[in-house]
Amino acid sequence: MRPSNFRTIAKREYLARLRSKGFWISTIALPVMMAAWAILPSLMVAKARTSQKLAVVDRTHQVAELLQQALDALAKRTADQVSFELEVVQPQADVDSQRAALDQRVLDEEIAAWVWIDSELLAENRVEYHAESVSNFITQQALIGALSAAVQKVRLVESGYDPEIVAELSSSIDLDTVRISEAGSSAEGGLGGFALAFAVFMVLYMTTLIYGQQVMLGVLEEKSSRVVEVLLSTVAPFDLMAGKIAGIGLAGLTQIAIWFATAAVLTAPGVVAIMAFLPAGTELPTLSPILVLHFFLLFILGYFFYATFYAMIGSAFNNPQEAQQMASLAVIFVVLPWIFFLPILNDPDSTLAVVTSLIPIFTPFLMVLRIAVKMPPTWQILLGYFLTTAMCAGMIWLCARIYRVGILMYGKKPSLKELWRWVRYA
Amino acid sequence: MTPSLELQSVGKSFGNLTAVDSVSFAVPQGTIYGLLGPNGAGKTTTLRMIMDIIAPDFGLVLLNGHPRHRADLARVGYLPEERGLYRKMTVVDQLAFLAELHGLRRRESLPSIESWLERVELADWGKKKVEELSKGMQQKVQLIGTILHDPDLLILDEPFSGLDPINQGLFKDLLADYRKQGKTIIFSTHIMEQAEKLCDNICLISQGRTILEGELSTIKRRLGGNSYRLIADGDLERLDEVKGVQQALFHDNTVKLLLEPDASGADVLEELVGFLTVHEFRFQEPDLEEIFIKAVRDATQ
Repeated sequence: MRPSNFRTIAKREYLARLRSKGFWISTIALPVMMAAWAILPSLMVAKARTSQKLAVVDRTHQVAELLQQALDALAKRTADQVSFELEVVQPQADVDSQRAALDQRVLDEEIAAWVWIDSELLAENRVEYHAESVSNFITQQALIGALSAAVQKVRLVESGYDPEIVAELSSSIDLDTVRISEAGSSAEGGLGGFALAFAVFMVLYMTTLIYGQQVMLGVLEEKSSRVVEVLLSTVAPFDLMAGKIAGIGLAGLTQIAIWFATAAVLTAPGVVAIMAFLPAGTELPTLSPILVLHFFLLFILGYFFYATFYAMIGSAFNNPQEAQQMASLAVIFVVLPWIFFLPILNDPDSTLAVVTSLIPIFTPFLMVLRIAVKMPPTWQILLGYFLTTAMCAGMIWLCARIYRVGILMYGKKPSLKELWRWVRYA
Repeated sequence: MTPSLELQSVGKSFGNLTAVDSVSFAVPQGTIYGLLGPNGAGKTTTLRMIMDIIAPDFGLVLLNGHPRHRADLARVGYLPEERGLYRKMTVVDQLAFLAELHGLRRRESLPSIESWLERVELADWGKKKVEELSKGMQQKVQLIGTILHDPDLLILDEPFSGLDPINQGLFKDLLADYRKQGKTIIFSTHIMEQAEKLCDNICLISQGRTILEGELSTIKRRLGGNSYRLIADGDLERLDEVKGVQQALFHDNTVKLLLEPDASGADVLEELVGFLTVHEFRFQEPDLEEIFIKAVRDATQ
């Protein structure tokens, strides 16, 4: 192996990828798609949640103040996303003209809605809500919650309870979701955890395959453009294969790094605020450094395995059509992880999960899934890494032997028997 | 002087197929050397073994008298028969990349890339992608890629196949120039005319074996036979009966007389003037094609 040649080849492959439009289109398209998937629905809902200016006419003179407290608490809990600006309007003797005036203020868009509280209605557990749009379900739910809390307190006090005790007894409950792992507990959302596991699995899966296939197409291109023998006069076949795999893999790592950086920005506090409509206490999943580290290591291992295999296929055949038949063999191994995806997600400690994630060709995909869901025991991770590395080494040895013969072979499509004969050539 | 390149009974087989049985030859410094042979004779395999693209089963390859190491090949320029360029790369990037594989840094190679492109009239095409160039332009770029690192030894496999006539001329000029600088050139071909015009030395291989090797002029003298060109009037039917004449070949109004190897032209002429009006009788330069066909036929018998 000559490092300088290896570097030159790898550099060319890397730059060729980074200069192609396809690289940047896919780099941008994937996060945009994922972000659209995650954020767009929330943005649409969030629009309905902007703070509302509300006028309250409290003819009981008891509820408004407590309502204000309840709404303040809600605003605090949701990081100001569900907030109401309350304007307490003194009741006037002329009920009809006051109601007409309030309607006019809504039409003039001075206020979004007005609430009418009087004792008769309250006795029937009812409060009036007047707005141009009365289908704003989430706002109304929030308001109902706050009103109920306020009215309950009023009633409890009326029944003779000490206001202080009432306040203490009726304090609301927040749900703090905590993920338990051996490395220590950390606050994380259940829904967010699923999304994270899925995203990590998908990204690893797609990049491994896409970049593995790129290696195959690259080798085929060198064969069909007949540039390969020009290179072989100065570069040993192994250096050529290794340089190509490394260069393309580096492009893959670059893309993943861009995605992780994007993810880091998206989960930054400012952006998280947009998503605070999630049930109180839910936090966005954050990429822990240890997960990112495992992700990169598993990508490298998985990529090397598949890329070498694809390089071998590319070298043995003459065009993408021929190669595709053989490449479909690889797809079988690649589809199987999907079958185990949900069972592992549900029970990451089951025997099935442990066994399948230790099978070398599945380890990259399934181990990253397990790590994302629940950190597996260290010995399992190390064993998985060891087995996959060993198999990678074997794969590289086997494929390099076929590659060095295959790249100079044109014409007939080789049979499996012939490929085996190439392996045994001196 | 140590030969620039020497092969000592090099051989290679693939499974049951013997591609090169045993080939030996020596290429003197500063010469143009032709590796000749019919298709399938083993020329490409031989050149690939020189370049360490295929490992020989046995035999020795010596560069400047020393066993060849892969690292030495950076000082060799090789143009394979199956050649091509990266279609999506620009001309300059492509050439800088090839130079880098030969150990030249990009900024070291850029000035000479520029001057080479100027020399072959492609100065305006440096920033263009290879796929935008015509076939003839790509051939020029390919040749520059082979000699950009100023190798001491050039190895060209069928360099003229597929070249348009203009590029053929350009290639020949470049090779002649290159030899003038004291460099050594080996090329393979099955077209004898080209070899005859360009080569100082030749090696003829057939079915994987060397059947002829040495200086072209010596070989011609030794194996060219003894043939004369005759233009004459009279009873040409009797030519076959003349003593010393092996065969008379008629071409339009001229006759090619193949004489017995030890027959003298003067004796034959004396006989001829007895019954013919001789307008022209002249020793004919043997052509390589004849030697080639004869040698291959003899070797296979």
